[in-house]
Amino acid sequence: MEKSAFTQKALVIGGGIAGIQAALDIADTGYRVLLVERTPSIGGHMLQYAEVFPTLDCPQCIMTPKMVEVSQHPNITLLTYAEVKSIHGSTGHFRVEILQKSRKVDHTKCTGCGACWQKCPGRTASEYNAGVTERTAIYIPFPQAVPAKPVIDLQHCRYIHYREFIESKQDGKKPPECRICERVCPVGAIDWDQTDTIITEEVAAIVVATGFDLMEIGNITEYAIDPDVVNGIQFERLLSPGGPTAGVVKRPSDGKIPQEVVFISCCGSRDPEHGVPYCSRVCCMYLAKQAVLYKHAVPDGQVYIFYIDIRSTGKGYEQFIQRGIGEGTIYLRGKVSRVYREGEKIKVVGADTLSGQRVEIAADMVVLAMAVLPAQGNGTLFSRLGIATDTHGFVQGNHHKFAPLETSVPGIFVAGMAQGPKDIPDAVAQGSAAAGKVLALMARNEPSLQPSVGILS
Amino acid sequence: MKPLERIGVFVCHCGLNIAGTVDVKKVVAEISRYPGVVFATDYLYMCSDPGQELMRKAIREHHLTGVINANCSPSLHERTFRRAAAAEGLNPYREEVANIREQCSWPHAHDKEAATHKAIAIIKATIERLRLNLQLTPLVIPMTKRALVIGGGIAGLQAALDVAGAGYPVTVIEKDNRLGGHVNELSTTFPQLASPGERLSQLIDTVNNNPLVTVYLNSEVTEVNGYVGNFDVKINRDITERVGAIIAATGYELLPHFKTPQFPDDKDIIDGLEFEAMLQKRQIRRPSDGITPRDVVFVQCAGSRDPEHGMPYCSRICCMYTAKQVQQYRQAIPDGQAYVCYMDIRSDAKGFEEFVQQVMRTEGVLYIRGNVSRVFRDGDKIKVWTVDTLTNQSLEIAADLVVLAMAMQPREGIRDLARKLNISLDEFGFLTEAHLKLRPVESLTAGIYLAGTAQWPRDIPDTLASAGAAASKVISLFSRQELTHEPVVTQVDEEVCSGCGVCVNVCAYKAITLDEKRKVAIVNEALCEGCGACAATCPSKAMQHKNWTHRQIMTMIDVAAAGRGK
Repeated sequence: MEKSAFTQKALVIGGGIAGIQAALDIADTGYRVLLVERTPSIGGHMLQYAEVFPTLDCPQCIMTPKMVEVSQHPNITLLTYAEVKSIHGSTGHFRVEILQKSRKVDHTKCTGCGACWQKCPGRTASEYNAGVTERTAIYIPFPQAVPAKPVIDLQHCRYIHYREFIESKQDGKKPPECRICERVCPVGAIDWDQTDTIITEEVAAIVVATGFDLMEIGNITEYAIDPDVVNGIQFERLLSPGGPTAGVVKRPSDGKIPQEVVFISCCGSRDPEHGVPYCSRVCCMYLAKQAVLYKHAVPDGQVYIFYIDIRSTGKGYEQFIQRGIGEGTIYLRGKVSRVYREGEKIKVVGADTLSGQRVEIAADMVVLAMAVLPAQGNGTLFSRLGIATDTHGFVQGNHHKFAPLETSVPGIFVAGMAQGPKDIPDAVAQGSAAAGKVLALMARNEPSLQPSVGILS
Repeated sequence: MKPLERIGVFVCHCGLNIAGTVDVKKVVAEISRYPGVVFATDYLYMCSDPGQELMRKAIREHHLTGVINANCSPSLHERTFRRAAAAEGLNPYREEVANIREQCSWPHAHDKEAATHKAIAIIKATIERLRLNLQLTPLVIPMTKRALVIGGGIAGLQAALDVAGAGYPVTVIEKDNRLGGHVNELSTTFPQLASPGERLSQLIDTVNNNPLVTVYLNSEVTEVNGYVGNFDVKINRDITERVGAIIAATGYELLPHFKTPQFPDDKDIIDGLEFEAMLQKRQIRRPSDGITPRDVVFVQCAGSRDPEHGMPYCSRICCMYTAKQVQQYRQAIPDGQAYVCYMDIRSDAKGFEEFVQQVMRTEGVLYIRGNVSRVFRDGDKIKVWTVDTLTNQSLEIAADLVVLAMAMQPREGIRDLARKLNISLDEFGFLTEAHLKLRPVESLTAGIYLAGTAQWPRDIPDTLASAGAAASKVISLFSRQELTHEPVVTQVDEEVCSGCGVCVNVCAYKAITLDEKRKVAIVNEALCEGCGACAATCPSKAMQHKNWTHRQIMTMIDVAAAGRGK
């Protein structure tokens, strides 16, 4: 076989902390990186958190510099609002097709002044605030977004609805034409004719860092769907100084400050009957942290954490749990059988297996640590890439112990939550480690075939 | 005062971190009137893209000659803002951070008015310092592109292979007479129950056959001199190697069980690694008399999560290896009874939970939730006193063998090594990373990286990931043509220096030497980390820290003190 030099470029899929770390480490070494992010901004879930355990750093403070570094790095090409559509070839010469979704905004003209999103009348749930508030149809996901230039969400744009109505030649009442963003834009950046485009690139190696989503609360039928029963990320937003309540913890139903909050661990995790059999690894720590942050915000409030086992295995984690207990967190060892509304309160019925008693708490708010799942749409992407997954949809390493980051396709590596639940330090370490694998591959500049390939005689 | 100074001041809200305590609008109004300030404004997050753009635009439009960013600690964003300033053609050392978060809004959250006054004073003082700042350029240092890995366990081997894989030579030094570390001693790995032997010997063979990797067995570091790019490392066989980067991967050992008062020194009370040795030999025998143990008690958190008698931290891997050992014990002795005394079961990675559940279901093991209070010999049995916190009953188990999952701790000698490398340790002796979240494999000393269990207890996949990450940092370092070093270092005023040598002794970085002939101190700028210890100690004020001169500091104090008592 003719050997040809590798393309000196890598593809990183996913712009959360693992992908950002991988991209920066590869780019710092002088190779080019294409970073593809599905949403309008890089940053991922980490930016949604109020503060991170056990140091209580504010993620805005430690993450935004990395995001800015990505956007300013001479070796990184950032493609946001884009998805990998197809892949051909092999190590050293992957040909990838990337769909750049149309933003309907010309980013070469846009200055990110914000006139459009301040006036836009379209509304839908804000992804960044985990549905706690709404955003506009033309939007940047959050103030520190990179790039800090908007996209138009076609599903919620009034003018797009109007156009569809006109084109379909339906009868009935015409919706308003809107086009307010176009009128208020001082630089004429709104471009209704902008279409999706396909970008074709050749890369030598790929890092998959596509992250996670939380299981829907509705999966646990014993727990009520209620505005005051929220998941972990929603509660992070309510604790966050940059969040919808500016860091004042208010319960969603009536804006009252909750005086009693119940946290429930293992909602869907370690539960093969209703959810997934595995442990989601981060919940014990983030619940302990949320309890501490809540107590800082509401010093006379009371918090309870239901748990099966407390899992605090990282550096400084055990000590953090003890700190939480010292600051007044009450741990109850047992499962919660029911969560339901009763008037003003949310009733939580569970067991305390240490005293052998049934426990009933009338809470103002309930926070559910929902199971960590592979990010939505990952299955499709992983099958496009041809990489093997485990039964739960996380990427399977080549060897569980000795090659956790090598996927079943040589030249494609995995990092972060896409590989399985893990916390920020582990995701960052994997991002760097995956980058190291890419760097070694680039330096080798030829595919290394495993001796286990079949030989036809 | 230079009349032509045109200073811009940018006050960050940091969400509510600053603006919740400090009245940022009032700060801006006050600072706008301060001499030399031609532009002042506030913004929600100055470190964000639009925040930096705001600053860059002001530098362009107002022809600023200096910039003050009033926000968080300079350790977080000084680099961010200096780079942005440099992009507009400003010398980066004409940007200074006024820390109004860690040094103002956070500690004074209870007193908004005083915090606002203090923020104003901090900014004014920083402006005075900025006026006297020199325009500096980074120092350029050559680099040796060879790495040293200390420790030949799987972390060190993986790191060495990854660095060599990128084309750079690596030296591995191992204290023991063989490579592979503790993994040599393991019978099987969890949760797949595969023997690690084959993968380990593959790894060792690959290392031994790699022409870029040099291995020294039975070796230790005796002395380290130099700095990033140019470390001179002496090894105890009269070898000195010059390397550009060092990876510390010295691994762990188990806390000796006789050091914890609840476990007596007895042949039939062994630790997890001793039980692994039995499993590896396929000979599970009671050490005291060689009989097959029918009742085995596995004690978890032996010395872990126990601030009174051992370590307060969790050793992370014991829950899993105990479950595996129970399974392996039952494979060997199907009618044996295993008991596991635990506090919480921590099976929190891929396939772990499923494995523990399966062991509980199929191996007839009794998991007892409670702390063991006493372990003692009673005739030919070992008695274990514990409590079942779920039924609130005290239990006594008469065991043939007790296996203690002892706490993991750093290797003996880590303190000595850390001192030689000039890197820091936590209170337990684990190596400390630069930032727990975002710089998990870097030490605070440039050019020295961390891998594996020397940093914290972890399992094999996490160890390999940290090793790969450390290697990637080394590759990244070596990919540069040359190294640059912060120019904010100390300089010696040779006219004033009396050559007393006090500074030589206080320098933690071995950056100062004494020229005996001329009787003056000489600073190696590449080694100087700009800590200022020498400048503070020098009795004749001959050591002057660039951009932190005595004059600058005294002026800052004058300005800050003038704001008092308002």
